[in-house]
Amino acid sequence: MTAPTGWIPVALSSEIEAGASAGAVVDGNEVVVWRDTSGVAHTWEDRCPHRGMRMSLGFVRGDHIACLYHGWQYDTAGQCRYIPAHPDLDVPQTIKVPTYVTSEANGIVWSTLSDAVPDEAIPGETDEVTPLRSLYVDCPAAFVRETLETASMPGFSGSEGETVFTAVSDVVWTLTSGEDRLYIGVQTVNPSRTALHVVIAGPQATYAGAGQAHFSGWLETLRRSLEDDAPDEAISAQMTTAEVA
Amino acid sequence: MSVITLYDYELDEHCYRVRLLMTMLGLEWEPHPIDMVPGQEEKQPHMLALNPLGQLPVLKDGDLVLHGADALLAYLAKTYDGANTWLPEDSADFGRVMMWLNFSSSALGAASQARLQSLFGTTGVDAPLKEASRKAFRIMDDHMTKRGYENGEWFVGDHVTLADLALFPSFALSRDFGIDHDEFPALRRWIRRFRNLEKFTTMPGIPDYH
Repeated sequence: MTAPTGWIPVALSSEIEAGASAGAVVDGNEVVVWRDTSGVAHTWEDRCPHRGMRMSLGFVRGDHIACLYHGWQYDTAGQCRYIPAHPDLDVPQTIKVPTYVTSEANGIVWSTLSDAVPDEAIPGETDEVTPLRSLYVDCPAAFVRETLETASMPGFSGSEGETVFTAVSDVVWTLTSGEDRLYIGVQTVNPSRTALHVVIAGPQATYAGAGQAHFSGWLETLRRSLEDDAPDEAISAQMTTAEVA
Repeated sequence: MSVITLYDYELDEHCYRVRLLMTMLGLEWEPHPIDMVPGQEEKQPHMLALNPLGQLPVLKDGDLVLHGADALLAYLAKTYDGANTWLPEDSADFGRVMMWLNFSSSALGAASQARLQSLFGTTGVDAPLKEASRKAFRIMDDHMTKRGYENGEWFVGDHVTLADLALFPSFALSRDFGIDHDEFPALRRWIRRFRNLEKFTTMPGIPDYH
């Protein structure tokens, strides 16, 4: 499976607490997203070189992440530093997890799925954001986009207005309704599953609490209609994926 | 205090719920191991005399014999949790806790079945069971997402209750039947909190970070 290029959104920053790890799948490529205890986020290939276990099932200790299987510990450069079964071993430099260039912007963790820094910046920089949620939907990203292009989203701040969809890039969309704007990072999990990492482009003083609940509720309705209305070919693609899994 | 006996199978998640609460309440009990797999001892006459349904867990407290995890949890909390932490006194919160206990034994039944098929079956997990489990986890994740907006860290109220304890095992064990935690960010944060509770104890399938 080939990895996509450029910045890919893989999680909401607020979802990955210090000392926590999570898995993400981008076009079939497994990625571990983890945050060391000093607060820095990392994204790597989600595979321990020892026995192929997903690192996302492991646990964070300080600035190391340890594999759940045999406790092999890796530093923030992906270099294996400690093997519990051989505590005195000077671990060879060759035992290393591929690390990806990682950044955080607009309340979202971004990965390049490679060690190269992309030429372009993360699209659509926004001053102040309020985290909303990641929404996982069983339908293709193209169908989500098609639906959002004609969606009507009730605003929160009171001003009535048409809902305007904008594709800032392939992986960043915005949805504007009156004074309110959602900033959406799009992660294609596989051909029939899509993750939307959504933040509100506006201050927490305005949106924390009731505003978040308002848009989160709308997203749940959206997810339901996307999955009910997804074209049949998307459903059959999903069945195939489920069988392979 | 009378002697508490738990008829127990280590790999059974419902037995784990009861062990977890008794551990958190600081209770002592006598474990009575039952050979559920492969022996099906819970369906033998001596066990049917205690629970005609032929299921675990069964709890004996003095002369009282009870079966069904929810009933055991509620009984233990009412009897031994003097602070009313696990079963709130406030009637609205009590109702909410009962709602999630019911969710645990109804909607999450699919997850229990899927796990048993995966661990002990020969034909893999039925797709509809897996799908129903995923749907139940989604409902839980949506709930905890909303709770996050009001700074709620637990399913009900401002501290851990039986709702959290009853819901925890199915999600924590979901990888046993092939459901990853990737898609449930609010539940990931919640189980981290739960695992950090004082006196938390694991069961096989729920890693004890070393």
